[in-house]
Amino acid sequence: MKKFAALLLALVMVLSLAACGEKNPPAGSASASGSTGGDEAKVYNVVYLVNGNLGDKSFFDSAEAGLAQLKADGRIEYRTIEMGGLDEDKPKWKDTLYEVSESGEYDVIICGTYQMPDFLKEVADQYPDQKYVIFDDNTYAGQSANVMNITYRQNDMGYLMGIYAATLTTDTSIEKINEDAVIGFVGGVDSPVINDFLIGYIEGAQSVNPDIKIDVRYTNDYVDTAIAKEYGLSMINDNKCDIIWGVAGNSGNGAAEAAYETGKAYFLGVDSDQELTLSSDLAAITLTSGLKNIGNSLIWFFDELDAGRTYFGQEVSLGLAEGGVGIVTDKNFATYASDDLKAAISAAEEAIKNGELTVDSALAEGGPDLAVQLRTEVQP
Amino acid sequence: MLQLIFNTDFFFSILRITAPILFATLGAVVGEKAGVSNIGLEGTMMVSALFGSLTTYWSGSWAVGLVVALFCGVLVSLLMGFFAFNLKTDIILTGIAVNMIGSGGTLFLVKVITQQTEGKALASTTSLITAAHQIPSWNIPLIKDIPILGPILSGHCILTYVAFLLVFLTWVLLYRTPLGLNIRSVGENPNAASSVGVSVLKIKYIAIGFSGLMAGFGGAFMSMYYSMGWSLDMVAGRGFIALAAQAMGAGEPVGSMLSALVFGFAQAFSIKVSSKGIDSNLVTPIPYLVTILGLVAFALVLRHRVKKQHSASALEKTAK
Repeated sequence: MKKFAALLLALVMVLSLAACGEKNPPAGSASASGSTGGDEAKVYNVVYLVNGNLGDKSFFDSAEAGLAQLKADGRIEYRTIEMGGLDEDKPKWKDTLYEVSESGEYDVIICGTYQMPDFLKEVADQYPDQKYVIFDDNTYAGQSANVMNITYRQNDMGYLMGIYAATLTTDTSIEKINEDAVIGFVGGVDSPVINDFLIGYIEGAQSVNPDIKIDVRYTNDYVDTAIAKEYGLSMINDNKCDIIWGVAGNSGNGAAEAAYETGKAYFLGVDSDQELTLSSDLAAITLTSGLKNIGNSLIWFFDELDAGRTYFGQEVSLGLAEGGVGIVTDKNFATYASDDLKAAISAAEEAIKNGELTVDSALAEGGPDLAVQLRTEVQP
Repeated sequence: MLQLIFNTDFFFSILRITAPILFATLGAVVGEKAGVSNIGLEGTMMVSALFGSLTTYWSGSWAVGLVVALFCGVLVSLLMGFFAFNLKTDIILTGIAVNMIGSGGTLFLVKVITQQTEGKALASTTSLITAAHQIPSWNIPLIKDIPILGPILSGHCILTYVAFLLVFLTWVLLYRTPLGLNIRSVGENPNAASSVGVSVLKIKYIAIGFSGLMAGFGGAFMSMYYSMGWSLDMVAGRGFIALAAQAMGAGEPVGSMLSALVFGFAQAFSIKVSSKGIDSNLVTPIPYLVTILGLVAFALVLRHRVKKQHSASALEKTAK
């Protein structure tokens, strides 16, 4: 018994050592810098640092797809470095940033997410001639002249989701939909970014039906699926919600489970096309998803760069017009939406794109108060 | 308003919310009776939740998944015991290590095993698990037809019934079996126990193994019934709430079950209240407030009792 335990222990230690072994700095980036100087259309040399791993069917894959597209069009050459997403990998993120900055062979260094700004600020300040792009974060926007922050107008996307949900919630010809005009929203925490989704959602829904009721709950947690499920069940059973938008990371999926279990509601996804990431049972009741198109935003960035416009040292907020956000319009969306609804959503999309319609934002001044006011107004 | 809150749904949800906490609480109760503070329940639950969910996916059978979840719970706990009892590490620190393994370690394992990740730190097995993989619910014949009581008591997950049954079994184990006597004596006074030939080490291993078994049940409940599949940090503090419930229930199976129910009640209540539009920032702390209040009440009662005993014995002395 004792020997067995010791053996087991040794095994665990070996495993954990193996885990550490992955932390070798990525070799090879010290290679001689390739000549990148082009004559007419410059081919940019880009490095994309992933502070996680590809294969997430979401954020990182989206950026990768955008870069692959650019490469296929012959506009860039790029290299992707996966740095791992664990806490233990964090030192590597900084090391890699230093390494690629020091090499000087890249025209642009791209990274993203709220986890990177501290490292990026430190490194970017030491290499003022190197250009950096960070997406979906604005922590230090405008503080380094060589860093461009790309953020996404989730309120635009929320508006379209609001129209979609508010129209379907009274369409009793669809199975499981009840006649009450009540829809739901499960947010992660009561924070500006989450409320930005919410404000768009409420305003979009109100544009369809001024008397719409929206049950807004916050799980105060991005990981506790079970609590989101409890909230979802309460929304469905107590307030007759039949469509719930989950904007709470992994825990948002709990709302989908509640909808599935009761058989009385549908779910809307967020960030990526969740019909692809959820299992078949849950995907079947996911009507659409609000998207953040990182890849599109990178293509937009190079479009602008080619046109001679740069935004380094600034924060650029990309909405529907730039393709930075959008909603999934195939699969279940196409099945459930009537032609009128599809037309209404396209019309709203056009109006937002050409500036006829502005959706309020929780990130703007007075935004937090507006969010509170709106959600009190629509409380069932 | 009251009718809207206190309906059958509400009481049904109390039992559902309580079940995973109750499993962990029973683990804490037996551990504590043997003098073993297992604060690694949280992490153990996460490991069990992961392997239960994955095995169910591979085997297609929730029963196999459940057995593996239980096995993992016991294994992790025994490993913890090996460090604490044989290698003499501090058991609290060992527990903390287990909790960290439960979080970071499961993330690492799920990436290695499934090659799947879902964005940043948000890993889950949600894409694999369908309703067919879940532990089924049970509509109890006859009872389900009783008005009011039927919809509250019937239709729960099988494990929910197991949880409440285990309260009774744990009580029997502790108070009606020789093993229970040994467990209690090792907890009360290990030296005395060992002087009459009880193997303290063996009893401690049994106790921590039992608490791992309970954590295994809890983990399986989380990933194989409560949620569809494992996701990172999904146990979300239930293992710690269980420790509070154990303390609040004075370490007795029934008392601790009642404390776990109080927590379940508070959680269910906060969710119901939020359906009436009360700000989530006010609602979320209710369960934790109730826990703190409960602990304070428990401490006050205890102090009162001790004082009473003191004065009683003082009176006796003066009477003499």
